[in-house]
Amino acid sequence: MANVTLTKVGKVYTGDDGASFRAVEAVDLSIKDGEFCVLVGPSGCGKSTTLRMIAGLEEISEGSLEIDGTLVNDVPAKDRDIAFVFQNYALYPHLTVAQNIAFGLETRRAHRSGLIAALTGAGGARRDESQAIHARIAEVSKTLGLDALLHRYPRELSGGQRQRVAVGRAIARDPKVFLFDEPLSNLDARLRIETRTELRMLHRRLAATIVYVTHDQEEAMTLADRLVVMHKGRVQQNASAQECYERPANRFVAGFIGTPPMNLVDGHLKAGTFTANGVAIALGAEYARLGDRACALGFRPDRVKLVAPNTTGSVAASIAAVERLGDRTDIALDTPWGRLVARLDADVARSLREGDAAGVSFDSSHAHLFEAGECGGRI
Amino acid sequence: MKRTPLTNAILWFVLIMGTAAFIFPLWWMTVVSLETPQRAEAAITGSAGIALFPPNPQFANYANAVRETGSVPWLGFVDALSNSIVVTVLVVLGTVVSSSAVGYAFARLRFRGRNPLFLVMLGTMMLPGQVTMIPLFLLFRQFGWIDTIMPLVVPAFFGNAFFIFMYRQFIAQIPESLVEAARVDGLGHIAIWWRIILPLCRPVTAICAVFTFIGTWNDFLGPLIYLHSDESATLAVALNGFKNQYGGLEDVHLLMALSVLTMIPCIVLFIAAQKTFVEGLARGAVKG
Repeated sequence: MANVTLTKVGKVYTGDDGASFRAVEAVDLSIKDGEFCVLVGPSGCGKSTTLRMIAGLEEISEGSLEIDGTLVNDVPAKDRDIAFVFQNYALYPHLTVAQNIAFGLETRRAHRSGLIAALTGAGGARRDESQAIHARIAEVSKTLGLDALLHRYPRELSGGQRQRVAVGRAIARDPKVFLFDEPLSNLDARLRIETRTELRMLHRRLAATIVYVTHDQEEAMTLADRLVVMHKGRVQQNASAQECYERPANRFVAGFIGTPPMNLVDGHLKAGTFTANGVAIALGAEYARLGDRACALGFRPDRVKLVAPNTTGSVAASIAAVERLGDRTDIALDTPWGRLVARLDADVARSLREGDAAGVSFDSSHAHLFEAGECGGRI
Repeated sequence: MKRTPLTNAILWFVLIMGTAAFIFPLWWMTVVSLETPQRAEAAITGSAGIALFPPNPQFANYANAVRETGSVPWLGFVDALSNSIVVTVLVVLGTVVSSSAVGYAFARLRFRGRNPLFLVMLGTMMLPGQVTMIPLFLLFRQFGWIDTIMPLVVPAFFGNAFFIFMYRQFIAQIPESLVEAARVDGLGHIAIWWRIILPLCRPVTAICAVFTFIGTWNDFLGPLIYLHSDESATLAVALNGFKNQYGGLEDVHLLMALSVLTMIPCIVLFIAAQKTFVEGLARGAVKG
């Protein structure tokens, strides 16, 4: 197991026409030994490219990458002692499950023993090693419940089983770092949640350093010791999942983390009163010191309260849609501030109907303010 | 769609006629190979009709044909057969190994000038063999390769444009992540090609091997040009020994008997590889 440190890492692609595109920019990241680090962001945010640079599948254009304190920028993938789980699993179709799991072990053994060892009669050692490989396969397949499948081919397995074989192949080698590239996105919703839990348990058991990429913020939050939110090739926030949720570093993170997403309204703050589209709400005296500025106001749907229409300190709204989820209900509201979402207790929302008028109010102590602009920082 | 008896009948008729047309030369060859020398010659010159089945089959023709191949009884045939086997095996091996390796490089490695190079390679398919025949002969004579199997075998190890193209198209469909997984697992390009790509290319390899086998086994012109001595002749060239200098036909029954024998490996191979073969052709048709 090992630390992984990225310093000012960037990736620039240059097309045939000489035009260059910066996919990843100045990523600083220090992943501690045994940490489960999740890179999350919308597609095209550079998270997979960053992971592939750590793996050595993609060259690092700028900055430095260290694994266990050793600079590995120019070390080929096979010598970085990492394991990579691909989105499509990339199991070798012509090999059985057991052979797939053993593949990396065997190539490594071949590297070590080599021709000279073979010629100088290291036959005994070879036999020991192949016994060790068998033992390892047995151990891994037991951990992942693959015992009965060892002699099957990948085409004979279900999606979930293939996924487990892919994980098995990774853990068999006992690498320094595990890299996962959206490993659950090809599974159906239910299996995804189950496997997520298994991965989390596996991480604890192996005490492994894991870097995990996903576009699913819920998956990211449940798995991560450390969450790295990326957008447009840059790290937007690098903190625990809870912190990203409670204190988003900027407007992008606020909108990305949490389901349903945070309500964000562009407007103007003056003397502690927030105004947008002609509708003003007093946030309280403590906001007065922030002066007179353009900003975005954010508040989570579960902090929204629906009050009677025209209550002072509320925004007039009409109910556009009611989505009942059992224990809670999501309400979409049309307001002068645009479309807002409220998440209410099912009991509270029982009598609400689409088309009803209401007032939107929220607890200003749980409001967030951000600078204007897409990635405006937290105020 | 439900077929009516009439369309069925038409279909059967067309298929039977087609099959008959393809089988006719084969059957004719077999019939002549079993005739007496006089009847065989009459059948070839057209002075007598062909029997559907020879009235008095001469199975001894086969033994005679084998005995009289080449200049040394029995051993002449063994010589020709082993020459054919050596040349064919080496050519098939060379073509599969080199074409798949080059196809992998064109499909998966990024290097400067890859696409122009690929076009140049495809362009070589446009050159008819007759055009390169004489320059090649002069070149191989410079090398001192005349009357050796080198001119027949060595070019096979430099790839075949058509099969390179087939391999490239097939390999391009193999997910990139398989190659990446192999890289992470510690393989270099050569090992990836050998241990991952080649096993997955089985249908293409079957096509490449069978076509190359049949082409080389039956090749007459190449061995005729480069192999001069009796001992180095392949079966296809040895067959020609049954025709005398003036095109006399007195041994035509033996010629046909040996032709039948020569053809057997091709037929056996084709039947054995048929399934993989059709699978590969169909895949090529859809994705190629």
